Amino acid sequence: MTGEILSARHMTRRYGGFIAVDDVLLEVTQGEIRGLIGPNGAGKTTLMDMICGRGGGHSKGEVTLRGRRIDGLDVRMRRKAGLGRSFQKTNIFPDLTILEQLMLAARATGTDDAAEVMEALQIAALAGWRAGDVSYGDQRRVDLALALTGRPPVVLLDEPAAGLSIGESLALSALLKDLARRWGVTVLIVEHDMDIIFSICDRITVMQLGKILTTGTSDEIRTNPDVVRAYLGSAAT
Amino acid sequence: MSDFATQQHGRVWSGIWPILAFGATALAVGVALPKIIVSTLVLTLLMQAAANAILATSVGFLFRQNGLTSFGQAAWFGLSAYIIAVNSRFGFVGAEAGVVLAVLAPPLIAFAFGLIIVRLPHLAYSMLTLAIAQGFYEFFAKWREIANGDDGLEIKFPKKIFGVDTILFQQQRSMVVVVWSVLVLILLFYALMARSHFGLLTRAIRENEERARFVGYETLVPRALINALAALIASLAGVLFAFYNGFVTPSILHWSLSGEALIMAFIGGPRAICGPALGAAIFFVLKDMAGDYTEHWPGIVGAMLMTVTVLIPNGIAPSLAVALRRVTIGGAR
Repeated sequence: MTGEILSARHMTRRYGGFIAVDDVLLEVTQGEIRGLIGPNGAGKTTLMDMICGRGGGHSKGEVTLRGRRIDGLDVRMRRKAGLGRSFQKTNIFPDLTILEQLMLAARATGTDDAAEVMEALQIAALAGWRAGDVSYGDQRRVDLALALTGRPPVVLLDEPAAGLSIGESLALSALLKDLARRWGVTVLIVEHDMDIIFSICDRITVMQLGKILTTGTSDEIRTNPDVVRAYLGSAAT
Repeated sequence: MSDFATQQHGRVWSGIWPILAFGATALAVGVALPKIIVSTLVLTLLMQAAANAILATSVGFLFRQNGLTSFGQAAWFGLSAYIIAVNSRFGFVGAEAGVVLAVLAPPLIAFAFGLIIVRLPHLAYSMLTLAIAQGFYEFFAKWREIANGDDGLEIKFPKKIFGVDTILFQQQRSMVVVVWSVLVLILLFYALMARSHFGLLTRAIRENEERARFVGYETLVPRALINALAALIASLAGVLFAFYNGFVTPSILHWSLSGEALIMAFIGGPRAICGPALGAAIFFVLKDMAGDYTEHWPGIVGAMLMTVTVLIPNGIAPSLAVALRRVTIGGAR
């Protein structure tokens, strides 16, 4: 791992009187897989939305990607700047074939790596299928593939294993770790499945009530009494 | 270009040849129509059906590529016809320039409107298209000095336009070939566009606009462009109507014409490229047959629309395609 690739400073988002994210500082090092965990309502997805420019509420903060300020850019330009995103709720083009949507994504990023991404995510055999007709697990992979096409230097993954079986989750986490290492992609991942978080993340940031509680390695997080009390409970063991 | 991209490029081009072959055959059929069909009545019906098929196709195009339903597509049809009529009355520009203006002005206006209204929720968009069309209707119906109000305007054409005898546009036997050919060329353009990057992108935006932005695409201009292209198709139908009819009244801007085009598109299948044209043909055959028995033929058309909507919500064309595929596959076994 080298220097910092993504930094989000003074990140604050308010919805009326409610502060969803409160003056958060998050710095992600190049090449790392960073977990972002915390109880529901902690502000994890909101922070991710703010980093990638998804609207809502009153927001402020500085986002820097590879040394370049991107907080003035819209979602599209942040993607072009190198920020991929997958979603908690599957966010694909159901009426297009898997191939068609990945070709579109590749063209947007000025690459032709659709085939490679399909191979890597093990959906190449389904290339000609309408995305709306494949299984939920495969749709999750299509969502990931859309985020990874063009190999953006940083991807934000919001609960990629949500709704998957234990077997599918484990397979997906192994795949993610392998891809991140092979392609040199920096990953910020929100996930409630602690097995995935502890098995693939280099460092983990814990959020609570819109603030950062702590950041550390898997072992540090597991043994941090504040984290255990606030979120992990028996999952720490 | 990678091997995969080359392979996909080849696949796209190999799919284009059948479309071009189908288009060439359809154009040849169009040229032969006046020789095959003796009855002037049938030719007139066919021509009207083809002209309405163009208008219905514009409704289907908008629905397929933008996911939006226009309640006011007659606005662009009527506006183009009125541009020709008003220009023939006042002679602002030459007749040819007037025709070019009649084809291009509606899509340009639709593009400008589109930049505002395609952002709105589906129902709001539909209601605004209705409002825009009724606005044009009121404008031409009320402003006697410009458009002669409800009495309508006669169009005086020069003897030749674009080097072609104008009389050819007013005779069924020649005009049926022109209208048919324009319809085929529009469907060809539509089929090719649907396979293009732009066609795919607009379908993707229709499916999930937010995801399209997260993939890296600007989404407003492509949607406004589809709005404009749909208006262009409708304006071509309007120009053909003006040429053949030689007379315009505000009824060609009325919501009832937009509604008919919508019914045709939804009977045929708005998401199938040829669906709205098929719907227009069915509509005219039904109208003609039912009209022989009762003056209340719209009731029969309404009953058909309800039947199609309930039993085959995707329209007749997609169901026909599925049936044909089954027969073909069954035959191949």
